[in-house]
Amino acid sequence: MIALDVQRIESGYGEVQILWGLSLALEEGRLTTIVGANGSGKTTLLRTIMGLIPAWKGSVSFEGRDVTHLSTHKKAQMGLVLVPEARQLFTDMTVLENLEMGATPARARSEYRQTLEWVFDLLPRLKERMNQRAGTLSGGEQQMVAIARGLMSKPKALMFDELSLGLSPVMVMSLFEVIVKLKQQRLTMLLVEQNVQMALAVSDYAYVLSNGRVELEGEAKKVREMEAVRKAYLGL
Amino acid sequence: MNIDALSASIVDGLMIGFIYGLAAMGLTLIFGVMRVVNLAHGPVIAVGMFAVLLLAQNLGLNPYLGLVIVMLLGLATGIGMYFIAVHRVIDAPELTTLLATFSVNLMIIGIGTVLFSTSPRALDVSLGSVRTGAVTILGTKLVADLIAVIATVGLYYFLYRTRAGKSVRAVANNRAAAELMGINSTWILALSFGIGIALAMGSGSLLATLFSFTILSGTVYEVKSFVIVVLGGLGNPVGALLGGIVIGLLEGLATISPLPVGWVPVIEFGVFVIILLVRPTGLFGAR
Repeated sequence: MIALDVQRIESGYGEVQILWGLSLALEEGRLTTIVGANGSGKTTLLRTIMGLIPAWKGSVSFEGRDVTHLSTHKKAQMGLVLVPEARQLFTDMTVLENLEMGATPARARSEYRQTLEWVFDLLPRLKERMNQRAGTLSGGEQQMVAIARGLMSKPKALMFDELSLGLSPVMVMSLFEVIVKLKQQRLTMLLVEQNVQMALAVSDYAYVLSNGRVELEGEAKKVREMEAVRKAYLGL
Repeated sequence: MNIDALSASIVDGLMIGFIYGLAAMGLTLIFGVMRVVNLAHGPVIAVGMFAVLLLAQNLGLNPYLGLVIVMLLGLATGIGMYFIAVHRVIDAPELTTLLATFSVNLMIIGIGTVLFSTSPRALDVSLGSVRTGAVTILGTKLVADLIAVIATVGLYYFLYRTRAGKSVRAVANNRAAAELMGINSTWILALSFGIGIALAMGSGSLLATLFSFTILSGTVYEVKSFVIVVLGGLGNPVGALLGGIVIGLLEGLATISPLPVGWVPVIEFGVFVIILLVRPTGLFGAR
């Protein structure tokens, strides 16, 4: 089953076109990754999928429904959720309040207690920090809050934009462990990462983006073996 | 200077300060949530004054019961105002939202002048007075202060203890992130604007129980509100109440100083400029 289906999407900022008819699909229960150099359109793609910037052409379908022009909050309420680049926390609010805001969709609200317990179990550090203002946390802890806030919405598909950017190697490792745990629970995920090596190692399927187009795609294992990818992104 | 006059003017200033604070609260809430300086603030206060007067004159409503209705009307009016005048320019530069709210200001003043002329009106309300030594406290002022405190506590409770209120803070903090979490930010902005207008109209109703007024009376309070909002820290409701008390006290003291009354605004704006220079986050601003 395809959870998210992006068809020949075109978009950009002002006059500048970034995405040139890009298509991709997320399979239910699988971890998909998008790799590509800076400026290849990864973040623009996620922003277009979420409706933070409008799609010029093409379509986005989620769970069989055309959501191309649906507003951002409606997509989130349907279960299509983005953990944005640079975390974008509610920095003036406490960690717990951030998580509470994550649980905005009606179906997430009714299971708030259980979900909170599950999230604290997954990211125990947040339980200690729950009454602290989110803006006072370290970068890694803030990223944990961003992930937890996304999970609190009971997403049907969760997308991560630059999960590991600017974090220490130890922190990156522990965040990837969380991703692997979520993968074992069969959560549909899309991982956009500049840490190509790790992203390909944990993912099922991979897309390589270049200049706003899909350059190649395939099972993550196979993509990792490709000569072009090894040279361009893995430095081998 | 005698001690009786001093204590009387301190108490007087303090008591009016609470109402100034309430008047400023709507302005600070709207700015804090959507970075819009509502230049229709003063006329909206005046509308609150006339609304409570009309309810009392035509329906014989008690002004304090009228206040509740006025605030509900304010909520609805504010939400309407947001969608008509503010929403389409919400992402535009500040000058655009200033002009949009200023045009609402002009419309209210224009229509109000036609309907009510600019001759002074007054509400007939008396709750007696309390007297201790040289200090006489009007019952209407006491009740107005109590309502101002209740409104402040209520707003604080709403913002920090309810989901809708927390959503308001989330949208104020990071609107795109709020949308990503499924919060309908347009609705939250409209609601915040509605609450801001309800508070402004409510403060107008309370002021109407204390002083006579015209459709132009709001301007004075709008100007005071700007000083108070900066004093209390932009976007901080509790700071607005404290800022209101400071300005009230300052005014109280000015009445017994040898300075002519005409100097009061000069002192207030002197404070305003000094605060902006020395501590632009406000005396009670958190950050």
